[in-house]
Amino acid sequence: MRVVIGEDDALMREGVGLVLRRHGFEVAESAADGGDLVRKARAHQPDVVIADIRMPPTGTDEGLRAALDIRASHPRIAIVVLSQHVQQRYAAELLETAAGGGEVGYLLKQRVADGATFCADVRRVGAGASVLDPEVVALMLGRMRRDPLGRLTPRQREVLALMAEGRSNTGIAKALVLTPKAVAKHVAHIYEQLGLQPDDDEHRRVLAVVRYLTG
Amino acid sequence: MATGGPADLTGLPPVDRALPAPRLALGGLRVPALALVTATVALLALAEVGLVLSQPAPGPRWALVLVPAVAGVYLVAGAVAWQRRPGNRTGPLIVAGAVVWVIAGAVNTTAAPLVAAGLIAATVPFAVVVHLLHGFPSGRLRGWRSVGIVAAGYVVCVLMQAPLYLFGEGPATLLQIADRPDLADAGRWAQWAVGSCVMAATAILLERRRRAMAPARRHGMAPLLAYGIGAVLFVPISGQVAVVASASPDAVLALVVAQLAVLAGVPVAFLAALRRGGFPRTTGLANLATWLGTAPADRVDVAARLADALGDPSVQVAFWLPDPGVHVDLDGRPVALPPPGSERGIAAVRVGGRRVGAIVYDARLLGEPAEVAAAAGVVALAFDHLRLTAELRASRVRIVEAADGERRRIARDLHDGLQAQLVLLAMEADRLGDEADALRGGLRTAIGELRELAQGVMPAVLTERGLGEAVEELAARLPLAVRCDVEPLDPRPPAAVESTAYFVVSEALANTLKHADAGAVRVAVAARGDALVVEVSDDGAGGARPGGGTGLRCIAARVEALGGRLAVDRAPGRGTRVHAELPCGW
Repeated sequence: MRVVIGEDDALMREGVGLVLRRHGFEVAESAADGGDLVRKARAHQPDVVIADIRMPPTGTDEGLRAALDIRASHPRIAIVVLSQHVQQRYAAELLETAAGGGEVGYLLKQRVADGATFCADVRRVGAGASVLDPEVVALMLGRMRRDPLGRLTPRQREVLALMAEGRSNTGIAKALVLTPKAVAKHVAHIYEQLGLQPDDDEHRRVLAVVRYLTG
Repeated sequence: MATGGPADLTGLPPVDRALPAPRLALGGLRVPALALVTATVALLALAEVGLVLSQPAPGPRWALVLVPAVAGVYLVAGAVAWQRRPGNRTGPLIVAGAVVWVIAGAVNTTAAPLVAAGLIAATVPFAVVVHLLHGFPSGRLRGWRSVGIVAAGYVVCVLMQAPLYLFGEGPATLLQIADRPDLADAGRWAQWAVGSCVMAATAILLERRRRAMAPARRHGMAPLLAYGIGAVLFVPISGQVAVVASASPDAVLALVVAQLAVLAGVPVAFLAALRRGGFPRTTGLANLATWLGTAPADRVDVAARLADALGDPSVQVAFWLPDPGVHVDLDGRPVALPPPGSERGIAAVRVGGRRVGAIVYDARLLGEPAEVAAAAGVVALAFDHLRLTAELRASRVRIVEAADGERRRIARDLHDGLQAQLVLLAMEADRLGDEADALRGGLRTAIGELRELAQGVMPAVLTERGLGEAVEELAARLPLAVRCDVEPLDPRPPAAVESTAYFVVSEALANTLKHADAGAVRVAVAARGDALVVEVSDDGAGGARPGGGTGLRCIAARVEALGGRLAVDRAPGRGTRVHAELPCGW
């Protein structure tokens, strides 16, 4: 799997590259700011772009904007955004661009340190899933518990959380020790509760997550 | 009213009559000049009335005094305008019009030189009206177009009048060099053609200028301009029509009376426009000085007093802070001075050569910069005093801004420096074997805590996305049902206001969480006029709580430094309501 990395800190850039290479990724190129990242992503057309959310020149959410730019012109390039801090709104904005079917990830930067999990997440995004940092999911679930209108059962929330982390039905079944058939039933119930029409399955998985994130 | 009389019982300075105020206006020259000129013109007009009445006349005798009467109207209107607004040239110009009318009226006398002067000046009153129109409201001509058109007006009325008296028909005058009615006629038509062009140009230019005016001023302009232009066009056109239609002597007399009445209305209209609405009477600089001597010195409305003294309600004051090198208002908020050459004039205020501020005024209204400069001299010391207040307020805002800047820098350093290093260390630890599990766990915890710390110092989302998203993220992290009603703020408030509002919300929410035992919390942020209103209310226990609110007191100091206020309403049983208002017009 080929990746382009956007990260302004040189040491961190090297570090992320090293971790990815160790786990069998091909790092096509690295960029140190938003504009450069967009150019290099367009030039190399990698499978995945990994972008630090905060990059020069503005030092704010440059990386997210670059990622959204790349998504707009090359919908087939998967995006993983790394953030020092989880922000529901950023996650939601990113997921909303995933209308073509998954292929976005929003992770805390520190997840890079757990190389195996991080690379597995990147691989899942590259394969067409959406992955959210467990912390975002936790925020989301916290809100659901407080939401008096939350109509999902605890079991359905668990399933939704795993969907948000990018697991497939089989993966969810394994994690919750359920049959895939039971998971599919839960997922169908979640769609129904959230008022999502039964069409493209991948798309709905994302929408279900977005629906709860944007509240 | 006698000074020292009952008025003193009110404790107010006897502003209106205490001093013969106008005498001090601008070097003390204007008032004597006004009296002298008015008296002289009045005498001349009276002399003219005497002259024309002492001679036999073909028509009714009262008709002979009509022209001096119009001169009298100009004189009175001009003198009043001059006296009320000494710095405005409209008054003197109207008085000059009176002089022109007296000269034009001399045509009705029997003395040949006076008749000649009258013939030469016959149409000059029209040029004066054009001059008045272009000069309104300051009486000064603005721009080369106005100067050109007014000059053309005088050329038409003075030079192009020549063929009429040099070749005119009728009884021979001193000026007639040949009895050539054809040449006189040609001259009259040429004068008429060029004069029409002048009036058309005037109408276009003034309409354009009127549209560019502030709506409040524009309102009164249209009738005045229409009347002035109408008057100048009506008189020659009606005259031509009367000649072509060979009207009866009675009809001609009626027409002349109507023409003179219309022209006499012009100065009255100008005077009315000067006094109405946006052009109130000035109270003079002496009154300003008297007031400065008696007013309480802490917070004085120097702008309003200057507005009264100068007769320009749009006057603004700006105080100069040399250290940051900006102008600020009385609340210490930076203000931008208008660019040079705009319709707003700027008069510097200095104390002993040191710049302390500026008076910004309507340059169209106050055509005489010297008058504003004189006012600036009168208020300079008081201005400097107020400047210190403004400086203090500005410095309190700057302290908040500097503190925020520090917080942002610390948060960034924590993120970019320490956190990045810890993540790199964790990446190293990841390559170690199972025996490094504890190390990895410790690093994860440290990174997480550092993240929370940096977030508390200054949340990145506040800088990046503004108050609304920052408050929403904050609320999402609380184990409470928080309803956020944050109005979209466009443009975003100043950074210091945003961060202060955020800290108000975050402190209030923290208190609610700690003490209130509340089920529901509501956060509302809305722009109200020039201020940002922040309110956090819960349905908890309310009431006083021991040792509570130290955090809020710190926040309150911050709110006050920005010129805002914070109130906490803690009635027992009715929950707690924290309400902050932050001015953000800067």
